[in-house]
Amino acid sequence: MRRDGRYEPFELASFEVAEVVEGSTACWSDGSLTLCLRDLSEAAMQGLPALQKVDVRLVRPGDSVRIARVLDAIVPDVKVSRPDTTFPGVLGRLAFAGAGRTNRLTGLGVLSVCDWAAAGFNSSEPFPEAFVDMAGPGRSMTAWGDRWELVVTCTPDSGAPVVDVDRCVRTAALRVARDAASATINRPASAIDSFELEEHVDTSLPALAVILQVASEGPLLDTFLYGGPVGGIVPTVLDHREVLDGALTNGAYDWAAVRNVTAGYQESALIRSLVAGHGMSLRFAGVILALGYLDTPFDKQRSAMLSARLARRLGADGVICTTFSSGNSHTDTMLTVQACEKLGIGAVAIVAEMNDGLTDHVPEADSIISTGNHDELIDPWMPEEIIGTSDSAMAGEPVPLWAYLGACTQTGDMALTAASS
Amino acid sequence: MIVVHYLNQFFAGQGGEDAAGLAPQRIGGPVGPGRGLEGAGLPVDVTLSCGDDFFGEHEAEALERLLSWLDEIEPDVLVCGPSFGSGRYGYACGSLAREACRRGIPVVAAMTPDNPGVLAAAGAAYIVPTGPSVASMKTALRAIAGLAHRLGNAESVGSPAEGGYLPRGSRRNVLVSQVGADRAIAALLAKLSGHVRTEVDSAFDRVSPPPAIGDLGSCTLALVTEAGCVPQGNPDRLPTRHANIWLRYPLGGVDSLSPARYESVHAGFDTRIANLDPNRLVPLDAVRRLERQGRIGGLHAFFYTTSGVDTPMAAAAKFGQEIASELIPAGVQAVILTGT
Repeated sequence: MRRDGRYEPFELASFEVAEVVEGSTACWSDGSLTLCLRDLSEAAMQGLPALQKVDVRLVRPGDSVRIARVLDAIVPDVKVSRPDTTFPGVLGRLAFAGAGRTNRLTGLGVLSVCDWAAAGFNSSEPFPEAFVDMAGPGRSMTAWGDRWELVVTCTPDSGAPVVDVDRCVRTAALRVARDAASATINRPASAIDSFELEEHVDTSLPALAVILQVASEGPLLDTFLYGGPVGGIVPTVLDHREVLDGALTNGAYDWAAVRNVTAGYQESALIRSLVAGHGMSLRFAGVILALGYLDTPFDKQRSAMLSARLARRLGADGVICTTFSSGNSHTDTMLTVQACEKLGIGAVAIVAEMNDGLTDHVPEADSIISTGNHDELIDPWMPEEIIGTSDSAMAGEPVPLWAYLGACTQTGDMALTAASS
Repeated sequence: MIVVHYLNQFFAGQGGEDAAGLAPQRIGGPVGPGRGLEGAGLPVDVTLSCGDDFFGEHEAEALERLLSWLDEIEPDVLVCGPSFGSGRYGYACGSLAREACRRGIPVVAAMTPDNPGVLAAAGAAYIVPTGPSVASMKTALRAIAGLAHRLGNAESVGSPAEGGYLPRGSRRNVLVSQVGADRAIAALLAKLSGHVRTEVDSAFDRVSPPPAIGDLGSCTLALVTEAGCVPQGNPDRLPTRHANIWLRYPLGGVDSLSPARYESVHAGFDTRIANLDPNRLVPLDAVRRLERQGRIGGLHAFFYTTSGVDTPMAAAAKFGQEIASELIPAGVQAVILTGT
């Protein structure tokens, strides 16, 4: 914040990566990014006692590689004037996200990988598969097969508590993302966006808000806001620029296809399109962060009601309700749609489907966007290499879509839908 | 392209009701509506027929014979009907279609949307909707010939609306030009201007509560749960999530569910506390107490279980109907359904 009490204006400077080259020092030159993978690994690992090893590898789009046991995907960002505030609260020092300049590498992703079972963490439920394919029929199922990837494979220290390991894995991956982007500091960007909202727009345009559903159910199932798990919050208004600038990060590793990865918040298609449409076809009324996966009908109804009330406070004529993961949370989405409609706020829900349809549906949810059927099988593929596990990672077998990272993300970032046949 | 056409005795020109008991027959070339298919550009190589009563009364035998011919002929496409509003004929068409599809043969059928054959086909066949009578024959044959041609040549038939067939109940993924976010914004703007549209049709199932039970003292009660409660070790392999089955376990002589013998395999909640006392999943101890006190008439001899995690509404409704169809004939008047 500036001394006059105003935020520094947000600037998102994009650096479009055409190629990544391994070298001894990091540098950026006109679309060509040189990175020293050993330096990235060593820096990522520093002071993280719960990790035995961090290995950073570069994978190219089109490589015959399946990356398995993927936990999260991150877009490389760095806060230019204060790199130590990048991903504030969770990696960097606390500072407002969505203020000041952020440099972002586009066309490059950071994928964190950890084989929990191999590290001795057993649960009654096996950890579901989570793949990114760099070639083959699954390539286009994720947002990652067409980018260069830095794969951060973490090996936990035996005996370290799972909570510590998870914190260290997330920290290591965010460090790699920040450090990779640091090569762009003081270099010219390909584009700069501000995401400012024009104040004086036609008030007859409909005001639209997003109810962004997240969840926190404990270690390995958490979402973090400025580094703290969001569990227990009442619905909260966020500045859309905070969401784009790393205030929200992911630590939930359930079903891959419907996982809200960190990059999904950073690149949010909903926020981008609502900002783009502001003053043209709509007024962007804001982002409400609300919980899904609440335990009881009371908690679910209470949160739905409070979300609807906040939407009204924002002056929303309509809301888009996103969904986090599958099953239980669909009820939170449906109740939120219902609560908004009861207040006269039009609602559209974004959900993924299964072979037999939805797990919940209310009459008020008469306008639903389907992000695809996550039970559908993708053709078998035999990659030349598998990263992240020593098992077969379903190579040569048909893979259900639910195993592909972000394939049916219910924040609306992909172009998949399901249709009757 | 090899085309096989299935007809009942009437359309195969073998007679009316008097010939309904005729066994399956194999005839070279087109017969009856098969000539219409030829006229619409689909030459028929072999016609198979069966009497409607024969199929109804000896379904396994009829299917075995018809399928053995299909195995020999190896057609590129099978056409069944049109059977219009005829229930028996439609059922035979749908059943044959389902079994042929299991062998990898694409099938086109045609009937009214409410024909029992649609259910019998179980989403396997491409069914052209027709009117109830032969008056819609010509239109139906043209639509069948078009679909069969594309299927026989392994070409795409498009969506139900594009291809002119009834939705088969499956949801296939398609890539569209706009991401979900942009489709959501467009749908919301449309909704706010009074034009509601959706990518998922409504499927909610509202069940009105039955009348209250007057006297519990003479009522037989059953215990049903979605808590994933099973005998220790899950011997029948109840899926822990996304379950496609329910199971039934005997309660005769059991007074209480001991943690040594029962457990929950439900993947949707932390089962540790519940597993210390499985009666908290299926309240057998409390119900036995009520039974002894005479406050309920009796307890049904089995409990029913599934794991309600990621369970689509359609699957849940099916489980409920199947379980109820066992409970009602057994005289059960009330159920305690424990959820998690």
